[in-house]
Amino acid sequence: MARDLRLGPRSPVFLTAIFLPVLMSVLISAVFGGLLDAKPRLGIADLGASDVTAAAQDIDGIAVSVVDGPDELRSQVEAHNVDAGIILAAGFDDSLRAGEHPDLDFYVSGGSLASNRAVLAVTTADILRDVAGREPPVAIAVTAIGDESYVPIEDRLLPIVVYYAVVVAALFLPAASILDEREKHTLDAVLVTPTTMKEVLVGKGALGVAMGVVLGVASLLLNQAMGERPLEVVLFLFVGSIMMAELGLILGSLVKDANSLYTAIKGAGVFIALPVIFIIWPTLPQWIAKLAPTYYFLQPVYDIAISGMTIGDFWLELAVACLICAALMPVTSRVGRRAEIRLAWAG
Amino acid sequence: MNLGVIIAILRKDLVAFSRDRFYVFITVFGLIAFVVMYWFLPSSVDETVRIGIFQTGLDDMFEPIAAADSEGIAVTVFASPEALIAAVEDGSDGIVAGIAFPPDLADRGGGTTTVDLFMPAGTPEEYLPLMEGMASQVALLAKGSLPMPDVRMRTVVLGTDRVGNQVSLQEQMRPLLAFFVLLMETFALASLVSVEVQLRTVTAVLATPARARDFIAAKGVLGTLLAFAEVLLLMTLIRGFVGDIPVLILALILGAVLVTGVGLFAGAFGRDFLGVMFLSLALMIPLMIPAFGALFPGTAAAWIRVLPTYGLVEAIVGVTTRSESWGDLAPALLALTAWCVALLALGTVVLRRRVETL
Repeated sequence: MARDLRLGPRSPVFLTAIFLPVLMSVLISAVFGGLLDAKPRLGIADLGASDVTAAAQDIDGIAVSVVDGPDELRSQVEAHNVDAGIILAAGFDDSLRAGEHPDLDFYVSGGSLASNRAVLAVTTADILRDVAGREPPVAIAVTAIGDESYVPIEDRLLPIVVYYAVVVAALFLPAASILDEREKHTLDAVLVTPTTMKEVLVGKGALGVAMGVVLGVASLLLNQAMGERPLEVVLFLFVGSIMMAELGLILGSLVKDANSLYTAIKGAGVFIALPVIFIIWPTLPQWIAKLAPTYYFLQPVYDIAISGMTIGDFWLELAVACLICAALMPVTSRVGRRAEIRLAWAG
Repeated sequence: MNLGVIIAILRKDLVAFSRDRFYVFITVFGLIAFVVMYWFLPSSVDETVRIGIFQTGLDDMFEPIAAADSEGIAVTVFASPEALIAAVEDGSDGIVAGIAFPPDLADRGGGTTTVDLFMPAGTPEEYLPLMEGMASQVALLAKGSLPMPDVRMRTVVLGTDRVGNQVSLQEQMRPLLAFFVLLMETFALASLVSVEVQLRTVTAVLATPARARDFIAAKGVLGTLLAFAEVLLLMTLIRGFVGDIPVLILALILGAVLVTGVGLFAGAFGRDFLGVMFLSLALMIPLMIPAFGALFPGTAAAWIRVLPTYGLVEAIVGVTTRSESWGDLAPALLALTAWCVALLALGTVVLRRRVETL
């Protein structure tokens, strides 16, 4: 294990295991967060320190950017860098409050959605009313209705990050390491020392488990999604990493070459990633996800971290996960032993 | 260069490629997955916010709002607050939120009354200011005031007005899917080159009348042909050939050449299969950024515009969604050509050195 840890950073798989969760986190927050949660964007060229600008910036539902001047604003609107823009002339607020008729050009980008135009037009009108000092004759009460357990899409995508962290680190890393040692015959050299195949498997598996837990935690921290019960999350990550490491050791001992390993992981990927799909689309029949072994740690990690559930809600899942780990142990040992015999015959 | 030798090496490589389980699998699986994904994506953009209303005695107020359906807001009037809440909860008819005005709002005297906004969990937060603004302005109108200060507001649309004709997610995804297909071929070529280098079969090839330049030329042609054929097939299957097709085909050829350069480079450096795969991925990640950037509206940042693949993405987006042609896309195509030459030269030089040192 110490040797693998020392030599690991030279391995592309090791580096990928570390950087993939980071990359996935960035992609999810940038692409999906930005794409699925795109607020209408209002550009303002403020030529006189207007209160309209400050009021617009205080509104959570729109993104406001202040630009240098009218020409810059028009070019930003035309390039669709903002959905709409207004130019506030010097003295606009005074004119508004005095009940005069100030001019206001509302520039709309041709590429903006009609809904965004409507949101920005109504919001701008409401800001002007507010700055003019005209109070609405009603109080507005907002009532949230429907499913209170609604989880935003960015959070529902979180299991993808955890999945990549645990699967690449705990499954792919030991599998690739065993295979690499088999292909380069360094495993033969190790086995002529007092080290047994079982010890090699335990060492490589332990490194995979440690990496799986560390990177699983790191990816959750990176997404600020560790939840209120970090120890319970870590427990499920630990059990999940053991399960994945065992599968990795079996694969690494069985497959013929790296191509086959990658094909096997890609081919089985859909099955392993099944729970992720069902978390993203919660309206799908959830029992299907339970067919995949990864369900028994991914679902609890997700629900404890995001939905505020506790380990008490997942005793059964924990028991099943432990059972799978226990069942895989003799298989791992047997497959490792067969790989050792094959190596001995080949030598 | 000896054309006969190049063709012979090409033939050998094509046979090797077709016998490789892994590449046949990822090529077929990838193509099918991308095409299926494309056809599952939304092919149109819903630009309308649908709001439910409960009101009594405000019919006159809602006539102009109802008339503004084409401007991004659609209003459905419900007979009771309960019916409104049920519709909002179910999302029936696409209703995203509801406003319940108090009965006889217009007839009420002084004092503030309450308007209820019903927002389901997960409602985009931009709908809150929209709903608040609508509620305030309707209330002002109902009370006989003008809804907003007397501003001479003039609306000017800048650029091509795409209302009703927005670019769908399907169309936005085309460059990304094309890029993923090119990426797969980078892996394939890099691995093929790496295997020849690692197993020293290249030295066997060079023991024949073939020279290093023939070997590299054959690999370059193979990579370009495979990448181009696959991206051509993908674009056909996702109905990507719209607009100025010759420009699109040129851009795809240049894209295939570009990834071939990267593949030769990665193949020359890769020590084994996994090494090649991860090196190719590491090289391709920055090249993916322009394709992801195309998913977002507006101008790409300056640093994205200097990336090698920006010209490819710009050409695909320009032709397929903005109906642009040679004149508009000449700078992008020139930049892409320059990057192709540079990356192909780099890949060739690096691989040649590697082959010659064996």
